[in-house]
Amino acid sequence: MSKAYKPLALIAEITHRCPLHCVYCSNPLQMISAKEELGTQGWIRVFEEAARLGILHLHLTGGEPAARPDLMELIQAAHAAGLYINLITSGIGLPEKRLAELVGAGLDHVQLSIQDAEEEAANWISGSKAHAHKIGFAQSVRGMKVAFTVNLVVHRKNLDHIEEMISFAQELAPNRLEIAHTQYYGWALKNRAQLMPTHAQVEHCMSVVGEARERLSGKMRIDCVVPDYYARYPKACMGGWGQRLILIDPSGRALPCHAAGVIPDLKFDNVRDRSLDWIWTESSAFQHFRGEAWMEEPCRSCERRDEDFGGCRCQAFLIAGDANATDPACSLSPQHQLITAQRIENTTMNRAADIPWSYRPNPE
Amino acid sequence: MPPPSDTSRPRFSAGCRWGTQGENRVVLFPEGMIRVQGTGLNILELCNGQRTVKQIIVELAQTFSTADPEKIRKDVLSFLEVLQAKRVVDYE
Repeated sequence: MSKAYKPLALIAEITHRCPLHCVYCSNPLQMISAKEELGTQGWIRVFEEAARLGILHLHLTGGEPAARPDLMELIQAAHAAGLYINLITSGIGLPEKRLAELVGAGLDHVQLSIQDAEEEAANWISGSKAHAHKIGFAQSVRGMKVAFTVNLVVHRKNLDHIEEMISFAQELAPNRLEIAHTQYYGWALKNRAQLMPTHAQVEHCMSVVGEARERLSGKMRIDCVVPDYYARYPKACMGGWGQRLILIDPSGRALPCHAAGVIPDLKFDNVRDRSLDWIWTESSAFQHFRGEAWMEEPCRSCERRDEDFGGCRCQAFLIAGDANATDPACSLSPQHQLITAQRIENTTMNRAADIPWSYRPNPE
Repeated sequence: MPPPSDTSRPRFSAGCRWGTQGENRVVLFPEGMIRVQGTGLNILELCNGQRTVKQIIVELAQTFSTADPEKIRKDVLSFLEVLQAKRVVDYE
């Protein structure tokens, strides 16, 4: 039965080390140290197995993937295997010469995250001095034969500057702009009270994005989705559990979703012990929520069950305490009030405004 | 972006390139891929940023000499429009 699902993309979190300390980071609270990381040959084997499984896209992420001195070798090997390579980076550790080498080795697409339009605000969110560096990085990317996406990560502390952020992104001249509402996992969940946008901010953002899409049509593509805390239906997390994506964490553990490690009683196999093919078809973690057999009501009889797959299993566990439950982000969930209670109407705007947030530290 | 004219030179947009999935040729781009086959594949293989739309139509008319040239023209233009909307193709 499980053979019917074919993985399309591999997300390789090649390290959790990162020079930035973004308060919205989706990495787990328990990060993996440098000495536990899978080595060069281990990753190369995974990329080759991925290509043989029919996977087309490789997303190299972290942490900051450029913190790995062997990034060049990894890209060469992934390109040789035929994968389309996307590098998700802060640009730190990628001076022009190194970036040019990566592009020469077969890197197809670079995605740069931006925290805010103004340097001071951006650096406050990332807990680093990265902003000025990112502007320089964007300039070097533009001169190279590689596709370029700018990703604006938005939340309450920067959504009041969304127009300025879009203008700033335009100056960086990417082919594509992604406006990513913070998703509440890992460090972002820890900082949720400080990051949750107000209802008015979300509505304002959607209308500004709509106008920008029209204005920039044909010049820059803009992708943006409604954040799930304010949506009616949950996101189709990972395109369905174990249906399209495999995530490998820095130690080589294979997960069906970024946050899956939080779900108790799931056993995650490691690419050091098992082939990717075996993990995809046989491992209990990938089979656990695959398909519909696990679903409870209201998902089980819902018309949308093959569209959003019941939403995110990790969010169901984190918010509702039950990984089998309907994602509480869904308006049909009996526990939807756990989500709506987190929404912030204008009248409660100052709630938690002064609570200090937790910067994501670096693993040892 | 305006629709293609006879002198437009279609090519892959930044970040798009050929790939393979099993036996099939696919076009890969940052957010996904599309499968191309049949006429679409014949058209796209000629879109290298050098040939004009007019030249592409002429070449296809030579390859498929029994097909109605007017139909080929329509197929090429509508196919390019679809790929342009998906941002797989733009023009030199």
